[in-house]
Amino acid sequence: MILMMAWRNIWRNKMRSLVIILSIALGLFAGISVLGLYQGMMKSRVRNVIDAEQSHLQIHNPNFKKDYEPKFVLPNGPSVLKMVDALPQVKASSPRSITNGMLATASGSSGVQINGVIPDMEYKTSQLKAKIIEGKPFDAARKNQVIIGKKLATRMKLKTGAKLVLTFTDTAGNLVSGAFRVAAIYRSDNAPLDEKNVYVNIKDLDNLLNIPGAFHEIAILLKNDGDVGQVQQLLKQKFPGYQVENWREISPETDLLVKTTDQYSYIIMVIIMFALAFGIINTMLMAILERTREIGMMVALGTTRIRIFLLILTETIFITITGTPIGIAAGWFIINYFNKHGLDVSGMGGEMMSSFGFGTMIYPEFPIGKLFGVLVIVISTALISCLFPAMKALRLRPSEALAR
Amino acid sequence: MADIEKEAANKETVIDAHNISKVYNPDTIPVYAVNNVHLHLLKGEFTALVGPSGSGKTTLLNLIGGLDKPDSGNIYINGVDITQLSSGELIDFRLKNIGFVFQSFNLIPVLTAKENVEFIMLLQGANQSQRDIRIKQLFSQIQLEDKLDARPAQLSGGQQQRVAVARALASMPRFVLADEPTANLDSQSASNLLDIMAKLNEEEGITFLFSTHDQRVIDRARRVIRLVDGKIVSDSAAVATEHA
Repeated sequence: MILMMAWRNIWRNKMRSLVIILSIALGLFAGISVLGLYQGMMKSRVRNVIDAEQSHLQIHNPNFKKDYEPKFVLPNGPSVLKMVDALPQVKASSPRSITNGMLATASGSSGVQINGVIPDMEYKTSQLKAKIIEGKPFDAARKNQVIIGKKLATRMKLKTGAKLVLTFTDTAGNLVSGAFRVAAIYRSDNAPLDEKNVYVNIKDLDNLLNIPGAFHEIAILLKNDGDVGQVQQLLKQKFPGYQVENWREISPETDLLVKTTDQYSYIIMVIIMFALAFGIINTMLMAILERTREIGMMVALGTTRIRIFLLILTETIFITITGTPIGIAAGWFIINYFNKHGLDVSGMGGEMMSSFGFGTMIYPEFPIGKLFGVLVIVISTALISCLFPAMKALRLRPSEALAR
Repeated sequence: MADIEKEAANKETVIDAHNISKVYNPDTIPVYAVNNVHLHLLKGEFTALVGPSGSGKTTLLNLIGGLDKPDSGNIYINGVDITQLSSGELIDFRLKNIGFVFQSFNLIPVLTAKENVEFIMLLQGANQSQRDIRIKQLFSQIQLEDKLDARPAQLSGGQQQRVAVARALASMPRFVLADEPTANLDSQSASNLLDIMAKLNEEEGITFLFSTHDQRVIDRARRVIRLVDGKIVSDSAAVATEHA
C-alpha cells in the first residue's frame, strides 16, 4: 500500500511533480550527453592514435628509443617483418626508418622527425594517403620526395613542389643533408604531430643514413583491437630481444587522458545531480509541509515512523525514476543522431581540438557501459535528497500536527 | 444503588486516569489545559466530554489517546500505564487499542474509502480474507456499501465521517476517541452519524468517548462529563450514582 500511496501522492500536485520530473530528465539528459560526447571524443582520439599515428603495436631495437640513434636498427628487420605479416591477426604493417633532423628552406628551419616509409605499406597502416590535402602521394619514379604536415607547411611557408633540405646525422655520426621536394601536404587531427613529422621514401632515407635495407620500427595494425594483448605476448615470445610495445605504452598520455576523462565525466554527472538534489529537496519539503496534518494523523492511527520514512523515500524515488527513462531516452535519441551525422565543432575551437589531438567532427557514443554508474548516481541523489524532508516529517508530534 | 454499583463492578475498566495535568508555557505564563483530572471509563460507555472552547477537551482526549504526554499523573488503558511508554511503543499501542475519529475527518485523500479503512488493518498485519470480511461488515454498519471505491473528495462530509468511524473500528480497538465528530456536519449527517455510533455502542458494546459542544450529541450520550478550565466540574455518572 505504501507503493500505491507514494505513487498517488506524487500526482497530487501534478504541475510541481512534472516540473521536478522534467528537471531530473533534463539533468540526466545533460549528464548522459556529456558522457556520450566524452566517450565519442576519447574513442575518436584512441582511433586516431591507433589508425593514424602509432598503430596497435610497434617493434624496435631496445636501444633505439633512448636517443633515436640511427645505428640502432631492427636486427633482421626484413625477416621479422615477414613473420609479423604472416600472423592472421595482423591487418597491415609498415617498416619505418626514423631519424631526427633539421628541415631548412631559404626562409628558415625547423626541427623535425623524418620518417622513411614504404609508401604502399604506410598508406595501409597510418592512412597517410587519406590525410593528403594538397599535392599527390609519393611517385615511385621520383626520388627525394617529402610529404609534410599542413601546420609545418604554413609555418615554413612551403607549398607543393617547393624545395627543402633535410639535415641529420648518419649511423657513423656524420652530418648528412639531402635536398627534397614537397610532393604533398597532409593534415591529421593532431596538429603537433603534423608540425613535427615529415615522410620520405625509405630508400632515400636509408641511403643517406647508410643503412640500406634496414629500418628502425615496424608499426603493426591489427584486425581487432581486442587482440593487442595476445599478439603483443606472442611477439615478445617470438622476438625476445626486441622491444614490443602496445599503443598504451607508446602513447601513455592518451591512456591517461581516456582514464581521467572517464573520471571527469562522472564528476560532471555528480555536479549536475547535486544541483538537482536541491530541486528534489525543495519539492519533497513542500509536499511534506502541505501534508503535516495528514502525516500527523497517520502517526496517530498507528503508522510507525519507519513507514512514514519509507513513504517519503518511495515518493522521492518514484519522482526520480520517473524522470530517469525520459532523460535516458532523450539522451539516447540525441546521441544516436549525432553519432550518425557527427557533431562539427570546427566553429567552436577546432584549432584547439586539433592541438590536443582531437578531430573537429565528434561522433558521440551512448555510454551504455556507464549507465549502471549513472543509475547509481541518480538513485543515490534521490536517497540523499529525501533525508532532510523525511527527518522533518519524522520530527512531527501527532498532537501538534493534527492541530495545524 | 446496590444494583448500579454491582453493574459497574462487573464491567471492565477501559480508561483509568489519575491526577493528570497538562501545562502549556510552564516557564512563562503557565496555562493548565488539563488540571488534576481523574477519569474512570468502563467498557461499553457512551460518554460525552463537554465544555466551552478552550476548556481542555481536545487536550484531555490527546492525553488519553497517547498522542501527547501529561506533565503529571498516570493513564491506565486496560491496565497499561501509557505515560510510561516510549514514542514507538505508543504508536503500536494506539494501533492495537485505540480508534480515532477527528473533527475534520482526516481521511487520506489519495486512498479510496475502502483503502482508508483497509490501511489500518494492513498496519496490523491482517491478511486479505480478514480484511475483506471486516470491510464488508464495517461498510454495512456505516451504510456506505456503494461508496467503497470513492475517494474522500467524492464523498459528502457526513459520508467521510462515517468512513472515519469505520476506520476507527477497523482495528477492533478497546475504545474510540472522537474529537468533535459532528462539528463539521449538517444536522441530518450529524444525526445519521450519531445513530450509527449509538447502534455500534448498544449492539457491539463499543466504548465511545467524544468531545463535543453539540447539544444533539450531548442529548444522546449516556454519560456527560463537563470540563471547565481543564477541570472536571460535573460527571453525570457520579450524579447518577449519588441519586441512586
